[in-house]
Amino acid sequence: MRARSPVHPWLMLGPSLLVWAAFIVAPLAATAVASTFAWDMLTPPAYVGGANYEALFATGELGRILARTLGFSVLVVAGAMALGLGLALLLERPGRVFAVARGAVFSAYVVSWVAVALLWVLLLDPDLGPIARLFRAVGLRPGFLTQPSSALPTLAAITVWKITGYAMIVFLAGLKSVPPSLYEAAALDGAGVFRRFLHVTWPSLRPTAAFVATTSLVVSFQAFDVVRITTQGGPARATTLFVYAIYEQIFLNLAVGRASALAVVYFVVLTLVAGLQLRAFRARGER
Amino acid sequence: MIGRRRLLAGVLAAAAAAPACRRPTTDARGRTVLRFWHSMGGRNRGVLLDVIARFHAAQDAVVVEPVYQGDYFETLAKLRTAVAAGAAPALSHVVAEVMPYLAAANTLEPLDALRDLDLVGALAQSGAFRGERPMLGVPFNRSTPIAYRNGELFEREGLRPPATWSDLRDAARALTRPGVRWGYEAPIAWWFWVALVAQAGADVWGSASAPTLGGEAGVRALRFWQELVHRDKAMRPPPGRDYDAWNATNQDFLAGRAACVWTSTAYLRYLEENAKFPVVAAPLPRDVRAGVPTGGTFFVVLRHAPDAEKAAAARFLRFVCEPENAAQLAERTGYLPITDGAVKRLSDSGFFAKHPNDVVAQKQLADVAPWPWEKELFRVERDIVDPLLEEAVLLDRDAGEVLARARAAAARPA
Repeated sequence: MRARSPVHPWLMLGPSLLVWAAFIVAPLAATAVASTFAWDMLTPPAYVGGANYEALFATGELGRILARTLGFSVLVVAGAMALGLGLALLLERPGRVFAVARGAVFSAYVVSWVAVALLWVLLLDPDLGPIARLFRAVGLRPGFLTQPSSALPTLAAITVWKITGYAMIVFLAGLKSVPPSLYEAAALDGAGVFRRFLHVTWPSLRPTAAFVATTSLVVSFQAFDVVRITTQGGPARATTLFVYAIYEQIFLNLAVGRASALAVVYFVVLTLVAGLQLRAFRARGER
Repeated sequence: MIGRRRLLAGVLAAAAAAPACRRPTTDARGRTVLRFWHSMGGRNRGVLLDVIARFHAAQDAVVVEPVYQGDYFETLAKLRTAVAAGAAPALSHVVAEVMPYLAAANTLEPLDALRDLDLVGALAQSGAFRGERPMLGVPFNRSTPIAYRNGELFEREGLRPPATWSDLRDAARALTRPGVRWGYEAPIAWWFWVALVAQAGADVWGSASAPTLGGEAGVRALRFWQELVHRDKAMRPPPGRDYDAWNATNQDFLAGRAACVWTSTAYLRYLEENAKFPVVAAPLPRDVRAGVPTGGTFFVVLRHAPDAEKAAAARFLRFVCEPENAAQLAERTGYLPITDGAVKRLSDSGFFAKHPNDVVAQKQLADVAPWPWEKELFRVERDIVDPLLEEAVLLDRDAGEVLARARAAAARPA
């Protein structure tokens, strides 16, 4: 279809482009400009060029934040997908008991992050928490959220607990779309449960799995509430993930330049990750 | 340059600034409305609100509108943003260490008209900081760190209050029962580390413009904690950051999980009233000398506020400093009395004789190590040293290398 005038497509796109420019492009540009200044909002800003980026790289802080965030993402995506799929396969049964079980698993997803974080803070309290008491009863004293080595995996486990219900529901929907005739044919060919899963269920669920992976990745990169409530980025910065690090710089230290530099790097990293995912998606589609 | 600042501040500031522009200075009865942002939570908030209620009963020209804004650091973050947006209140209170920065940013109103107040020397700006300059703050809830001991446990073990670092290590080891109780606990935080540095014979800033972080004394101070945590296994670094760690320290002490803790005088009444054992306060031990920093906050009046509100703030501050009010603030909380009149009143009424724990911090005032008046002091504390102290103690990092990193970070622009 050809436009009657070359201006027409732009007229149609105009309103969306204006909103996009005002709320996406302009703030991004302002952030990029701000990242070249040292500014605390109260004293006059001083142009420092790339010094904010240099400081982030020189101290190794940026690398540590990036490694932590990616590590957290890997744990969350893998955990949510594995548990979500496992629960979907387990609970895809008729009957009230299974319906209640599905509802119970999904209920965590609809609870606010703050409530979930507070609940786990209480459960994991090293002195009074019931989980810590159970461990103490068998002679173990795990730190969970208080030890630098265990805090990040614990935080990932809490996140997985919260979003697994959503992953399960999406996988359940995906399972419904697998034609029963495929299972029947595979059974007639003598395929057992495992082979039916490997050659029928999993290939059919691939687009669903890609969707769950993407949404879990987004959730893990946006993690803030759970960090703010449970650990405030500690102990020893072990849970200072990207968004929390930006928050810390802008709202606690009022280091506008440093926070902007972090936000710019965050944007670049997210663009790269999204690009890689899109590429993987397309490659799979072409096959 | 100004255009860029406006561009960046505009979005953040617009929502807050718009109502501020319309805000009237007086209420329907013609009284000056004094907006006051504070950080007094829990039982101490009630004490502050009582003082405000008495102020309202005593006069009818000024009405104080107190607004709780979170802990010191949350309030400060909001205050700084509000100042940038032109929406800050006329009166607030801020931790001492941030005053040089706020002064350099030209946000504080000089309060020299209040120089005639009989403020306690070590707690006033002139005693809490090195050097002389215009008065920019009036002491409010001022404190020092002190040691709190579980009297029952110390008596059972036949231990005296630790007078030196070495005494403290011995006592902590003797009182520790693995899995049951730690001998000693203190938040791994700047304030307590600065106390250790002072006791080790140095200052965190020295006389030059860049922080020394105590040099070798700073390293020794940090190693002292590392020894207690990792070698002696007699100290618990409390979980949580900032005031979460302070609260954890209090709860461990009250539950008998820590036999001796270091925390602020601010918790004196709270700990005394909630402990099931005798709480015995003691001065912090010495290394090569005795030394403590002062803590807590100063009232500050914001420069941009309308003149009528500044005058109202000065009137309220005079009221707070009256002997009866200043004495009540101290008596009911554990904070130090801020005026000589209040100290005399508490002494004459027999309060100190009945409450020997309150005398400990009074006596420690003789060993106060004043803060340097440095614009970067607060940034070095919050942005650099505090996170590195936690890392050094929890992960048992080389103390010298950690503090060298902190000095290098302090040299970079914010």
